[in-house]
Amino acid sequence: MKAVCWMGKSKVETLSVPDPTLLNPHDAIIKVTKTAICGSDLHLYDGFIPTMESGDILGHEFMGIVEEVGKDVTNLKRGDRVVVPFTIACGNCAFCKKQVWAACDNTNANAHLMEAAYGYSGSGLFGYSHMMGGYAGGQAQYVRVPFANVGPLRIESDLPDEKVLFLSDIFPTGYMAAENAQIQPGDTVAVWGCGPVGQFAIASAFMLGAARVIAIDRLPERLEMARSIGAITVDYSEQDVDVLTALKDLTAGTGPDSCIDAVGLEAHSAELQGVYDAVKTTLMMETDRPIVLRQAIQAVRKGGTLSVPGVYGGLLDKVPFGAAFGKGITMKMGQTNMHKYMKPLLERIEQGQIDPSYIISHRITLEQAPEMYKIWRDKKDNVTKIVIDPWASAFNQEQLPTEPEDRSA
Amino acid sequence: MSVPLTEKPNAENTPKSSSAGVIINGHYAPPPQDKDGKIWIRTSALIQGSPQELYDIWRNVEFIPSWQEEIISVIATGEKTSHWAMKSGDKTIEWDSEVLADEPGKRIAWRSIGGESENAGEVIFEPAPSGRGTIATVLQEFRMGKLASAWETFVGRNPKQAVIENLRHFKAFAETGEIPRAQGSSHGDRGVIGGMKESVYGEKIPTPPGPNQPVS
Repeated sequence: MKAVCWMGKSKVETLSVPDPTLLNPHDAIIKVTKTAICGSDLHLYDGFIPTMESGDILGHEFMGIVEEVGKDVTNLKRGDRVVVPFTIACGNCAFCKKQVWAACDNTNANAHLMEAAYGYSGSGLFGYSHMMGGYAGGQAQYVRVPFANVGPLRIESDLPDEKVLFLSDIFPTGYMAAENAQIQPGDTVAVWGCGPVGQFAIASAFMLGAARVIAIDRLPERLEMARSIGAITVDYSEQDVDVLTALKDLTAGTGPDSCIDAVGLEAHSAELQGVYDAVKTTLMMETDRPIVLRQAIQAVRKGGTLSVPGVYGGLLDKVPFGAAFGKGITMKMGQTNMHKYMKPLLERIEQGQIDPSYIISHRITLEQAPEMYKIWRDKKDNVTKIVIDPWASAFNQEQLPTEPEDRSA
Repeated sequence: MSVPLTEKPNAENTPKSSSAGVIINGHYAPPPQDKDGKIWIRTSALIQGSPQELYDIWRNVEFIPSWQEEIISVIATGEKTSHWAMKSGDKTIEWDSEVLADEPGKRIAWRSIGGESENAGEVIFEPAPSGRGTIATVLQEFRMGKLASAWETFVGRNPKQAVIENLRHFKAFAETGEIPRAQGSSHGDRGVIGGMKESVYGEKIPTPPGPNQPVS
């Protein structure tokens, strides 16, 4: 089959690899009908997440048709149409029973690596480093799904793929970010980052009762999209704009009730602290660039809540913990407990409350994926979300940037 | 003296001492340290299952190759004795083992009685506070020099880490009926560095088969 493989920092290739096979009794093989590139895949592309190995198949947002099931899979059969959550959960450990699915004890096949780094291991993830399990991802024509009785959500209706695909990660992730923000009716919520997770966090904050949402980014297409769903936008790259001042101005000097960091470890800043973090990460004296985190702690009102759906990987420098303590804020974060949110959010889609496909800007083939990783990383071509059809041919796609060069001549 | 606080709605009787020496006289005691050619490891896991169910899986010695790493076979040679074969680097080592204490639903203790491995250990199953499952604690000792231990680490798995991994596999099997497996996943060419990383990350040690047929 064809698959998108990580071949080193800033190096992604579409390769021919062996088809997946059933390895355990609760496995299923899914024929992937749609998959997507996630903003967090860019952290892998940029080499920020350790324990990647060349040859790793990327991709943790995917859906498809069940091709084959292992002997102990009882609630899926060949031909079922499913969306697969990016976190893998066993359903039986103490954490799964408490609905903290992303903390599953039993699905990380390399738990010792994460234990060494984080103290305890979370669940395994698809296509997201060996520390997180070493499972092959879904930017491929087929994918193996372990613990298939627990994760995959069957889609019984005829909703098109593009409306349900984002139940695999970013819609539940944006929703949990808003839930973690502990929004009370009438609250003002600030969201840093208007990429896909930020967009769904904004939409979900409104669903959960926010009166106002303030959205912060620098890319015009994203800010436009945030305004289209009702947010007030702040472009931090505009001259004379200071985010902390803007948030005070927009909240009568009080600060937002809740702040959501939907950016994570690769935040950008043109200011001095941006240079400071760029230098320190380059010298490997710091692993992450916590610019948004610092700002959000500083910005949130006294007794407010900070929710962090953005990915952080390691050790952070100069985090104003004194401010966090001094204001008595609450911080909630972590990988999404996918299995808790997929079904209720599918119902919201079925009822027409939200159509998550509005964020899609690019529809591509597997062959185009390597180029699109670069284009999205470099924030070109107004990318908001890239969806891959693994079975489309490169030659009948309208958005094909350029045809492959003929090198035979 | 002040009046002690008495309101403890969910408190359970605090054990004065606990299995494997975790608590002694109401005080936490660290695991035994490596000394005199003996290396020690103590590890524990919270497992959803009754002490009796877990005891039954562990006591079935001939099933042990399904969940312990690198064990090729275990053959019961008597009610309390068994013969073990294990892959160690490129060679196979063998030894005999006997059960020293057997308390159904509670505890099993064993020691090797000749052969190429000198080890002894025990596993204790006890109910977790508030009925939140069973705490399984393993205390294992190997008679092995530091050099030999370093060699094991180099050719495969550090013996202490192997005990930790085996308890992890046991828990996964008891809770889910299988052992999570990434080995055999599809991937592109690993290249030289990718292959080295696999070794360093301990991914070349075969994951025990669990309920699958062992791959010979």
